[in-house]
This record gives sequence, C-alpha cells and structure tokens, in this order.
Amino acid sequence: MSASMQASAAEPILRLRGISKNFGAVSALTDIDLDVRPGEVVALVGDNGAGKSTLVKILAGVFQPSAGTIEYLGQQVILSGPGKALELGIATVFQDLALCENLDVVANLFLGHELSPWQLDEVGMELRAWSLLRELAARIPSVRQPIASLSGGQRQTVAIARSLLLQPKIIMLDEPTAALGVAQTAEVLNLIERVRDRGLGVIIISHNMEDVRAVADRIIVLRLGRNNGVFTAETTHQELVTAITGAAENSVTRRQKSRSDQAISREAGL
Amino acid sequence: MTNPDPISAASLDRADSRVRNDESFAGALRGFVDRIRSGDLGMLPVILGLVIISIVFTALNPVFLAPNNLVNLLFDCATVGVISLGIVCVLMLGEIDLSVGSMSGLASAIIGVLWVNTGIPLPLAIIAALATGALVGLVYAVFYTRLGMPSFVATLAGLLALLGMQLYLLGSTGSINLPFQSDLVRFGQIMIMPAWLSYLLAILPGALLLARGWHTSKRRVEAGLAPLAMRLVIAKAVTLTLALGIAAWYLHLGRGIPWMFALFVLIAVVLNYGLTRTKWGRSMFAVGGNREAARRAGINVNRIYVSAFVICSTLAAAGGILGASRLASSSQQAGTGDVNLNAIAAAVIGGTSLFGGRGSAWSAVLGIIVIQAISNGLTLLNLSSSLRYMITGAVLAIAVIVDSLARRSRVTHGRA
Repeated sequence: MSASMQASAAEPILRLRGISKNFGAVSALTDIDLDVRPGEVVALVGDNGAGKSTLVKILAGVFQPSAGTIEYLGQQVILSGPGKALELGIATVFQDLALCENLDVVANLFLGHELSPWQLDEVGMELRAWSLLRELAARIPSVRQPIASLSGGQRQTVAIARSLLLQPKIIMLDEPTAALGVAQTAEVLNLIERVRDRGLGVIIISHNMEDVRAVADRIIVLRLGRNNGVFTAETTHQELVTAITGAAENSVTRRQKSRSDQAISREAGL
Repeated sequence: MTNPDPISAASLDRADSRVRNDESFAGALRGFVDRIRSGDLGMLPVILGLVIISIVFTALNPVFLAPNNLVNLLFDCATVGVISLGIVCVLMLGEIDLSVGSMSGLASAIIGVLWVNTGIPLPLAIIAALATGALVGLVYAVFYTRLGMPSFVATLAGLLALLGMQLYLLGSTGSINLPFQSDLVRFGQIMIMPAWLSYLLAILPGALLLARGWHTSKRRVEAGLAPLAMRLVIAKAVTLTLALGIAAWYLHLGRGIPWMFALFVLIAVVLNYGLTRTKWGRSMFAVGGNREAARRAGINVNRIYVSAFVICSTLAAAGGILGASRLASSSQQAGTGDVNLNAIAAAVIGGTSLFGGRGSAWSAVLGIIVIQAISNGLTLLNLSSSLRYMITGAVLAIAVIVDSLARRSRVTHGRA
C-alpha cells in the first residue's frame, strides 16, 4: 500500500470539478468530481447507464462537458478533441483495443507516430518496442508477428504499451479484462500495477468487482450520473453493490437470498 | 520480480523460448511451407501459374517462348500494368476503381486531341492528361469521404461518364492517328534498352538487397537485436540476380528489353518503396486493415483515401498514354473491353487482397505478366475473342476464389 500512501500526498494530475453532460433533456452526468494523483489507480464503477463511458469520453476529448472544469497539472484545460487529450498526456485504451490485425506488433505500437516518416526506421522502432515491452515485463514472443496471431491478453498488452508510447501522465482503460481468461486477467492486472509504479495515474473502468478491488487504490461509484461514494479496496463486495445499485435491498441481494434459502431448504429436506 | 531473468544475455528479440529461431536453409524452408499451408500464399500462385501457362502454350505453339514474342509481351504488359499499380493502391484500402479503363481511354483521347489535332507540345498534353486523371481521382475521393458514396458505385458512374467524355472528345471521326516517327510512338513500339544497361539493371536489385541486408544487420547488432540471417539474404540476392540475368540474356537474344517496360518497373519500384518504407504506406495498410483503429491512432483517414484514389486515376491516365503510344492512335476503342478487368485481375492474381490491408506493388507486375501471357498465348492460337474473354474470365474467377479461400485460411491460422 506504500504507493497509494505516497499518492494521497501528491498533487492531483487531473482534477474534475462539477462536470455535467446533457444530451438534450437527459443529463448523463451531473456535478461529477474526480481527482487522479500520480501513482494511483482509480476505478470507476457503476451499473449500465451510470455515466462511466460518458465520463471517459469527456476525458478522451470525444465529448465536451456541458458544465464544470477540468484541471490538468494545475492548469485549467479544454479537451477539444481526441488529439488534444493525447497531446496533453491523457491516453485511452478503448474496449475494442483498435489494433490493426494485419500489421505486426511494432507497426501497431508506432501507428501514426512512426520514426522518420520518409524512410521508416524499422530497427529503431523495433528496439523501442522491445524496451517498452520489457519495462512492462510483457510476454510477447515476437514483435514481428501480426496482431492476428496474438491472444486476447497479449493484444491488451500491446494496446496498453501503445498508449504508453507517447509518455502520457494518465492512462484510461475501458473494461481491460472483460474478454480475458483467468491467467490473462492476472497478467493485465500486473501490468496495470507496473504502469502505476512508473508514477502514472490510471483510471480503470470495470464491471468486475474482484478485479477492481484487486488493483484499485480508490473506487469511485457512479450512479445515475452522480458521484455515489468513494471506497477503498477494503470495502466489502456487499457495500459496493449497495452503492452501485443504490439500495441495500436489490436484485443482487434478492437473488443471493433466494439461492441461500433454496440451499437451506434442500439441506432441510435431506 | 521473484524469478530472475535467465536469458537476459540473449538479444532482446531472441529472449522468448516460444519462438523458433531456425535460421538454416531447412528452417527457412519449413517456415515457407508453414506460411503456404496457413494461407499466406504470397507469390506462389503467380509462379505456378506462369509455369503452367508456359508449358501449355509452348506445347500448343512453340513461338510462345521465342525471345521476340516475350519482348512483345513485355511491351503489352507495361500499358495495363501501370493501370494495375494504381488498382493495388485502392484495393489496399478495400475499395475499388471500376473506371480505370475509361480513364485510360480518356487520357489517350486527350493526347490525341491536344497534341495531334490542336498542336499543343507533347509534354503539355501529357501533363494535361495526367492532371485530368488526378482530378477524377479527387472527385471520387470527395464522393467517398464527404458524401459517403461507395467507391463501387461512384466509379461505376465514372466509367460511363468518362467513356462519354472520351467519345465526345474524339468526335465523329472516332480515331486519331499519332505520327509514327514521333518519340511517343517509338517509345511504345521500338525503343529498347542497350544490352549493357539491361545487364547492369539486372545486377542492381541483388546488389541493393545485399547492401541493405548488410547495413540493417549491422544496425541491429549495434542496437542489441539479433542480426539478420545473412546466408538467406545472400541466397535470395543470388537467386534474384541469376533469374534477372538469365531473363535479360534471353530477351537480348531477341530485340531486348523495352524502355516502356523499364518505366513500368520504375513506377513499381517507387510505389513499392512508398508502401513498405514510408509512413504513408504504413497508414495505407492500417486503413485497409482496420479503418477505425487507424483513425484513433491519429491517422488522417480521409487524406489516405484521397491519396489512393488520386494515385489510381493518375496511373490509369498514365497507362492510357502508354496505350496510345503502343497503338499509335487514340481511338474510341482505347480503354474499353477487358482493360478494366485485366488491370484488377492482375493485382488480385499477384496477391493483393480484394478485402483490403494486404498487397504489394510487385503483385501488379507479376499479375500482369500472367494475364498478358494468357492473352498473348490465346492470340497465337488464333482463338476468337469470344473464347479469349471466356478464358480470361475463368482465370479471374479462379484468382478471386484463391484469394477468398486463402483469406479464410489465414483467419483460422491467425495471420489476418
């Protein structure tokens, strides 16, 4: 926990105050506050429609907020487009990864940012790719393979490594473990911790409470577009579910109750 | 880090034990067989095709392999081949240009009208024809990127519109003869490279391959990566030099290698460099492979589409000019008939995928040699054009089927 102790002392890289976003009459986000400090993993959780994706899109520069301020490194900024966010140092790894399957790992890492555009520096790019992957202790067998031949976890690794290429201060991961198996999920979580240990701020969105509690320093719950509490990894599953669904009595608890009732009656029947 | 890295002594790219790094000839051969079996056919269909074509046509008419017939073949290849190079660019993006035939016809009409009828100097006429091509490509690109019109439909409309313009320009006479003594016609019919230059150019690719291999290898070692397998590079260079040398020697038993074919190969070399060694080429592959990913990586996708359509139409116009010089006339027939399909078929047969994201400039060069060899062989057999169309159509169908099957196999083998 030393990393998070140190993190809470540092100045936030990113500070959102009173962010709101309306789509016509619908307010997708209302009065959201969010701080991200260097070397900290912040998890955004919430049910479908809670506004997580809208918030990520605002930070990625895809949407502009209807109200509120964004401070980045102490300066108020306007994220007018995806290019602007990248330029400032806010990198996003989208859920569908957006990799070109027909190109190899090196080409994907450097896509749009190739070294020496008129005479590609393949050796330089390959070297940089290896050192980047090595810093992340990533297990990619060969960087000259097309992406099509990599597993889901390896693709996620490439996508994360690519977001780090431009040396961002903050990296946002949208559902990084959604499509992964057990071992690959663990690898990606390790990767997130390594990124954090390099002093970056990490924002992760996930539906998987276990993953969130395994890696997050702070868990921010969104509900119906509003802040609904800040929790830590020590929070119980029950408390988190309560915060997400907004009631101690909800479909999750009812289901658990009915299952345990069934189990009890089955035991009683025996 | 609980487990120490036992292999840190190995170069960065050789550290993972899961990758087979077999650099012997047997290893290279095994890799080649693996690639073929997974559907990564590369140049294999073309080479097989050429061998079969040569055997069949030589058996039917021995003239087919005579040096002078092959020289004629190269003259014919250059015109449609240049068009096919442009087709490679649009196919790379998963788009198509069906109007290249009409564009080449229009370019030949522009040459005839401006140069012969109006007396404007030839270079200016050529520039006008190429500029028209570029403009047409720009229009397609605007239709596609701004108006969301599928390239298939936009260029189909272009096919008719450009044909109409060609007929309008040529007027009632229907055809304009180009002066036989002019450089343009001599370029398309007689001009041959001197033998010494042919041999020199035959040595060049192998030498460049060696030099680049050696240079890259040195840089990789300096950077801490494993060097290239120089034995394989040398083997490749020697094979290439031998093949080109023998071809040059054989062609010089006849008239020699046409300058027009040299121009075609030069354009192919430039395009190949652009596609494989520049940021633009990388972006072309990326947009063809996954357009959304390319956009998110910060590539200006629309500009890539514009570049591809403009290059395609401009090269189609260039092909039309070469066609006019080959036939010594600008006629209503120029660019009609099978020109369109031959250009597209050449690219596909050579290994450029119709589905985007895969291809190379060399596919057009090799593909057009196959297409023209078939057409030339059938002409030697005095077959009627009805039969020739049917056979060429069947060959195109086979090429597309091979492409589709290979693609399916690549998907299941994780080669995209």
